Amino acid sequence: MNTNHQTALAQKLLFLADDELILAHRNSEWTGHGPILEEDIAFTNIALDEMGHAATWHRLRQELTGEDVDTAVFFRDPAAYRNVQLVELPHGDWAFSMLRQYLFDVYELVHLAQLATSSYRPLAEAAAKIRVEEIYHLRHTAAWVTRLGLGTAESHQRMQTTLDTLWPYAQQLFVNLPEDEALGEMGMAVSPSSLLEEWQHLTTTHLTQANLIIPTNHMPPTTDRADHTDHLTSLLAEMQSVARQYPTAVW
Amino acid sequence: MDTQWPRYEVFKQDRPGEPHESVGTVHAVDAEMALQNGRDLFARRPKCHSLWVARADAITSKTAEQLAADDAWQADIDLEAPTETYLVFQKQTERRGMTFTTHVGEVEASSPAHALQQAITTFPAEQVFVWWVCPATAVTRSEEADTLPMFAPAKDKLFRLPNQYRTVFTMQKIKRGKDVIE
Repeated sequence: MNTNHQTALAQKLLFLADDELILAHRNSEWTGHGPILEEDIAFTNIALDEMGHAATWHRLRQELTGEDVDTAVFFRDPAAYRNVQLVELPHGDWAFSMLRQYLFDVYELVHLAQLATSSYRPLAEAAAKIRVEEIYHLRHTAAWVTRLGLGTAESHQRMQTTLDTLWPYAQQLFVNLPEDEALGEMGMAVSPSSLLEEWQHLTTTHLTQANLIIPTNHMPPTTDRADHTDHLTSLLAEMQSVARQYPTAVW
Repeated sequence: MDTQWPRYEVFKQDRPGEPHESVGTVHAVDAEMALQNGRDLFARRPKCHSLWVARADAITSKTAEQLAADDAWQADIDLEAPTETYLVFQKQTERRGMTFTTHVGEVEASSPAHALQQAITTFPAEQVFVWWVCPATAVTRSEEADTLPMFAPAKDKLFRLPNQYRTVFTMQKIKRGKDVIE
């Protein structure tokens, strides 16, 4: 692996880690506020799983860059985060959080199946392991999408409004970035755009069965992972506050 | 008006070949969600191979005292009526905190009372504190293919174990008056 490939791979791992971490944090905001106790626990579990996946990707990145995981998470400014905007949007209502997690879960399953064949072995092994958990996440969020989509007039309307909002944001997951070419040459990771067709097929089928109309706007608000909304700034201010206040604390 | 979702009893099997045991209840809108909620509440940390859920109102429960008090519960048994399969569960001990009843087998019966009558003769035991019978059609079961994604990931999660946290050690240090923030 030459320096170019190593840099590209570290960057890819940062994309993976930041998407999972920020989504995990947003989901964790439901802890103690879920619609019923059982769902509060279920969704908190999912948040915790995603947090674990973020840690896995960060550790793989640390092997390449030497940057400490806690430093990367708690002492990095918003401008240096590389998550898509989809995951940093405020958690909204229950329909919003369920649908966002669903759209992300389908993307992850499609993506992880490909990453599991990566020529970079640590990445392939981690992807295969994480994929098992994502199967369950998808089962849970897909079930909610169906029930809310086909539920009451209000739940259906909330789902459709949310889908109209989230659909363009979700498209950012499939934007090819400069790193992807080098990684593709080495067989380390497939390009995001190559995942779009399967994702679109799976989501369109399921959402349509839930009586939801697929939006016609496929234009992501941004194609640059360095580009963030103000929501990320406030999220990180809260998430990083304790670590920054007590930088030498142990836990 | 009761605004709670229906209650489902959750039955957990730890390993293949072992009986399913009732471990608690969940609220859920339907059986699929009950299965998922059961997984998240009762199978994410302890060992699990398979889960069943049954709507609580489909289960007929009788204590040994209730059955012994009089024969009234057997009054309406119609032996000519068509039968269906019932699952039979027994609470066999008062010593176990984590489970309530254990699945012991099936009977063919025309009603819950008939199923209880059949259960008592089919599954005699030295001590049964509580009997449960439930039509097999009211039970939803996880499938063999679910075992890996639903129950396997927890095995590798060391953070679920209390000894993964330095809290106890850190507290001891604090109590001894040591400054833990280095």
